Amino acid sequence: MENTSRIVDRIIAEKGKEKKALISILQAIQKELNYLPKEALRHVGEHTGITPAEIISVATFYSQFRLRPAGEHMIKICVGTACHVKGSGQVYDAFARKFGLGEGETTDRKGQYTLEKVSCLGCCTLAPVVQIDQVTYGHVTTSQVDEILADFESRAGKKEEKKFRLADGTEIQGEIRIGLGSCCVASGSDEIRKAVETTVNSYGLKVKLKHVGCVGMCHQVPLVEIVPTEGEPTLYSRVKPEDVKDIVGKHFKPPGLFSRLKGKLLDSVEYIQTDAKWEGIERYALDVRDKPVSSFLGNQIPIATEYRGIINPLDIEEYKSRGGFRAIRRALLEMTPTEVVHEVKESQIRGRGGAGFPSGIKWELVARHGDPQKYVVCNGDEGDPGAFMDRMLLESYPYRVIEGLIIGAYATGATKGFFYIRAEYPLAVRRIREALATCYRENLLGENILGSGFSFDAEIYEGAGAFVCGEETALLQSLMGNRGYPRIRPPFPAEKGYMGHPTLVNNVETLAQISFILREGAGLFNSIGTIHSKGTKVFALAGKVVRGGLIEVPMGTTIRQVIFEIGGGIANGRTFKAVQIGGPSGGCIPASLADTPIDFESLTEMGAMMGSGGLVVLDDSDCMVDIARFFLSFTQHESCGKCTFCRLGTRRMLDILEKVTQGKARREDLDELEKVALWTKKGSLCGLGKTAPNPVLSTLKYFREEYEAHLEGRCPTGKCTHLIKYQVNEKCIGCTLCAQVCPVNAIPFTPHEKHVIDTGVCIRCDACRPACPENAIDVF
Amino acid sequence: MIKLKIDNKSVEVPEGTSVMEAAKAAGIHIPAMCMDEELDHFTSCMLCLVKDATGRMFPSCSVAASGGMRITTDDEEIREGRRIALELLLSEHVGDCEAPCQLGCPAHMNIPLMNRLIAGGKWEESLRVVKRDIALPAVLGRICPAPCEGACHRKTVDEAVSICLLKRFVGDENDLHPWPVPALNGKRAAIVGAGPAGLAAAYYLRLKGVDAHLFDRAGKPGGQLRTAISHDILPEEVLDKEINTILETGVVFHGGVTVNDTFFDELKNSYDALVLATGNIDDLTKSFQLKGTPKGIEVNRETYETSEKGVFAIGNVIRSSRLAVRSVAQGKEAAFSVIQYLNDETIRGEPRMFNSRFGKLHDLEFAEYLKEANPARRHFPSADFSGFTPGEAIEEARRCMHCDCRAAGNCKLRIYSDNCQADQKRFQTTPRRAITKQIQTSGVVYEKEKCIKCGICVRLTKKYREKFGLTFIGRGFDVIIGIPFDESLDAALVQTAQMVARHCPTGALEIREMN
Repeated sequence: MENTSRIVDRIIAEKGKEKKALISILQAIQKELNYLPKEALRHVGEHTGITPAEIISVATFYSQFRLRPAGEHMIKICVGTACHVKGSGQVYDAFARKFGLGEGETTDRKGQYTLEKVSCLGCCTLAPVVQIDQVTYGHVTTSQVDEILADFESRAGKKEEKKFRLADGTEIQGEIRIGLGSCCVASGSDEIRKAVETTVNSYGLKVKLKHVGCVGMCHQVPLVEIVPTEGEPTLYSRVKPEDVKDIVGKHFKPPGLFSRLKGKLLDSVEYIQTDAKWEGIERYALDVRDKPVSSFLGNQIPIATEYRGIINPLDIEEYKSRGGFRAIRRALLEMTPTEVVHEVKESQIRGRGGAGFPSGIKWELVARHGDPQKYVVCNGDEGDPGAFMDRMLLESYPYRVIEGLIIGAYATGATKGFFYIRAEYPLAVRRIREALATCYRENLLGENILGSGFSFDAEIYEGAGAFVCGEETALLQSLMGNRGYPRIRPPFPAEKGYMGHPTLVNNVETLAQISFILREGAGLFNSIGTIHSKGTKVFALAGKVVRGGLIEVPMGTTIRQVIFEIGGGIANGRTFKAVQIGGPSGGCIPASLADTPIDFESLTEMGAMMGSGGLVVLDDSDCMVDIARFFLSFTQHESCGKCTFCRLGTRRMLDILEKVTQGKARREDLDELEKVALWTKKGSLCGLGKTAPNPVLSTLKYFREEYEAHLEGRCPTGKCTHLIKYQVNEKCIGCTLCAQVCPVNAIPFTPHEKHVIDTGVCIRCDACRPACPENAIDVF
Repeated sequence: MIKLKIDNKSVEVPEGTSVMEAAKAAGIHIPAMCMDEELDHFTSCMLCLVKDATGRMFPSCSVAASGGMRITTDDEEIREGRRIALELLLSEHVGDCEAPCQLGCPAHMNIPLMNRLIAGGKWEESLRVVKRDIALPAVLGRICPAPCEGACHRKTVDEAVSICLLKRFVGDENDLHPWPVPALNGKRAAIVGAGPAGLAAAYYLRLKGVDAHLFDRAGKPGGQLRTAISHDILPEEVLDKEINTILETGVVFHGGVTVNDTFFDELKNSYDALVLATGNIDDLTKSFQLKGTPKGIEVNRETYETSEKGVFAIGNVIRSSRLAVRSVAQGKEAAFSVIQYLNDETIRGEPRMFNSRFGKLHDLEFAEYLKEANPARRHFPSADFSGFTPGEAIEEARRCMHCDCRAAGNCKLRIYSDNCQADQKRFQTTPRRAITKQIQTSGVVYEKEKCIKCGICVRLTKKYREKFGLTFIGRGFDVIIGIPFDESLDAALVQTAQMVARHCPTGALEIREMN
């Protein structure tokens, strides 16, 4: 076995001895050794120019790093917004109970599993989500812990099944498209892929199997689309592996004799399917012309997500055939950098990362700077617990984002670029890495790009888990191997950025819209949207909406259109109460303001913010105090701790909110809460602190009566566990199911009798309520 | 050069000057804690928030002045922001500025300092400390019920430090007034009643240059000290000796004088100020026509002003009490009010600084506090009324755990909290952190629970290239300043120990040797 110092030596040799390599060195050490042992860190200090103080400050800043060994398997419990509103906190508690974890413990006694809360796994539509190593479980309930662990353990040691070989291209009967975005993968699209491969192989079908990126219809995953060479395409949603054979057989006839026999069988299957008594796979079929689907897609304008569900993320030829890299050609070969900047300014595009700073002006600032050394950075450190559009764009349209970055570099005169991507997005990292390699091969990167005389290099830099690094000055610190401490602006990165040189930092979504602007012209782009907010915006629509997913709509679309036309309204027949826009920096907008057109200004005016573009729909069963507390616990955890107002203000707000949700607060506490919130907004150093109070201030503004109910010891929606009771009502048939799932034996096992919940023992984990077949458990 | 206006003052500064520096050039001080003259700005404490003409707030330490700026550095909104910033910092600041014994002492005597001086064998210096607040230490050292010992943190470990006997020791060891008496300044004050309150008031007024005249019915000064206490407990020679040190400063005693209402009016006319310290209220004092309460003469509790201008009242005449130390304390405090009155200043009484307090010591903290104390148990003198020998006094004084903060005199957090009248409890929403004390053999103490995370020490150890130095550990609310790889404080601060202690804005990092 290689000893620690040898491993570290090898890693240092590979990553370099400079401070900017520190985060990747630590990532590599942890990857090999499971955690960051002290002796490994000391070794780094002794064999590089990086000081012990720097190593420790970085190793303890980013949440990815562990200074203690973790269990063999990581159980990641998503506590993002969508998961939170669907009960992920209780799921976490259920796992903690299962492993008998005490306060502050995260690893079970056998060292087998380590429990970890993660802010978003990007599968909001499957909420609540739990990921064990690489396996993702969706729609988890508290009583499923044993089931999930058993399933996970049963997978151990299984080998990958035979890989599908592509049918030879001459005789393609059609195309089978399988969604491979994170949602799709999480919902089991990989199983589907295997089933399709097996079916296609065993029937000897001549079809092309194609992996497509995110279609955006995350509420329907996994998605399979059958596109016959002739005839209309059919989209199947919520496909199960066992349905695959039927779906494939319905559209494609196997060629050989033996297969033809099977074909007959399939025909009969088809016959049965159409029988009125049997719903079968038809249940899953979606016709794109069907109303729900067309309204989901119909109101959208895809720019960043152009050709979604159609193009293979990594197929550069396909990207080219759909207009890809035309913008680069136009910019690099036909335009001067100044003209490019002018075009971007003309488009009036504003940064999609949150604050909405005009991108053209940013570009101009960098372009005008005299420093010969300039950089461009793609900010892909999306950390909002309820948003995943950057991940989806990077995963599904890597070339489009790269194209935007290259154009930005050309326009500003930068020679080097970075993709700063959250470490929690491995698929995005992999796709961008592969796409970058392809671009180098195609001379879209490197020396003298496309013969234009312009040279540019780009590489990936993986973040290590710190929401604050989405703030550009913090991001640049991180890029240089430091703690992600923001600093005051000015000087702006455009004047003094990476290594002190002018640096253009643009968000993924902004860059994904650049190629459209350069290809179609600024005029087309700025014809979309409102007076001050042009173009489209991608939102992650999740929460209590019928059809969640990623959507791209013109600026100025109203909240109502998004929720009711695109999202299909509120799920489960409940009432629309509010929408949380912009994640931890955003705010809660009440249903009464649903007709407001969404743009940068209107959101700020309402006390929310474009922020990351998370759009979580809340219904009448959601407690607004709990929502505020949820976001505060996130920002409090993510505060870097540099400035007083954010470090302590977010904490004290959270403390007060906890007091409120426990029914222990008094009226004065609400005044103090508001005071701290206002001052944290006014006095914090960076955007994180300045916007962290928004969820509190907006809920205080629009839902003050709910806060007041808590002062009286009431949670009107029955969400705050300290203020609620579980009770069995008259509908109980004595089936004992609730008693069986209760983790703390608060329900005595009394078959055929009405059950009783011992409120003193009950931990309000909500396991019994969904287990009851008769709706006999009340919460009040 | 750049021209701008700060608080309506025009100032011209070179380009690149921060707003804070520009304000300094205009003679305006902006509070700040994370700024250090040796280092670049860091923008952490946010105390230096100022406002521009649009009302936008920003930290003045790190924003460059630009031409035409119109900056406001102090208004109600800015003060509120500073106060909240301080209250947020105080909400997690675990430390006592002054020791609980000092706060428990009605005379507010600096007990830990006295103990340190006794432990160092410095009798005269210790007397100076005692006499700053207590005019009659040898007397009180025999009769005081010692509320200070009730507050002593050492009590939670084993037994309180024998503070009262130590004070007696200091009083007994010295028989002279310990510092020069200033010349008379032309103002005269009459003090009616020569009990402990009157004696103290006269003493401190004389020490402030006032011609102080004591009037008493009895022929000898001392009041109830002479009449109500057994001589076994308080021998006459002790009382006489200590009163003598007071009279030696030039206090004039007029014995055998009964002050009735006419004489009272006479005194009022012939003296610049009058202090009433006549003991329990009686018909005679009632005849002075001062506003009263059921318990005595009504006074302002902070300043001891009565309903009549220039007349102050202290001791049992305002409320009967068996605590001589309280009377002695009031004598001292009233002297401040009288001086303020004589100087035509706003009468505020004795100035009191802001005090950070954390309450009771927890079990786990005993060991931390004992790091600086003699672990031996309390020493009791063998005989009932005997005091300590010098050796015993030193041993006992060494039991003191020095709960006062080393930075009590120059801590920026304390000074600004005092200026802004911050309320430490306002945002104390979670249980406090446990106190730790890391002590470096070469002379620095680190109490991280007092740290405000300004990073000055981190930046200094980096600047001076310490091998380990200090660093930020963790993130957000849980961030602490620590030493990489759990090295010792000695290893962390090889060359910079004294420097970081000097630059720390609070008492988190301090030079161990105490004054």
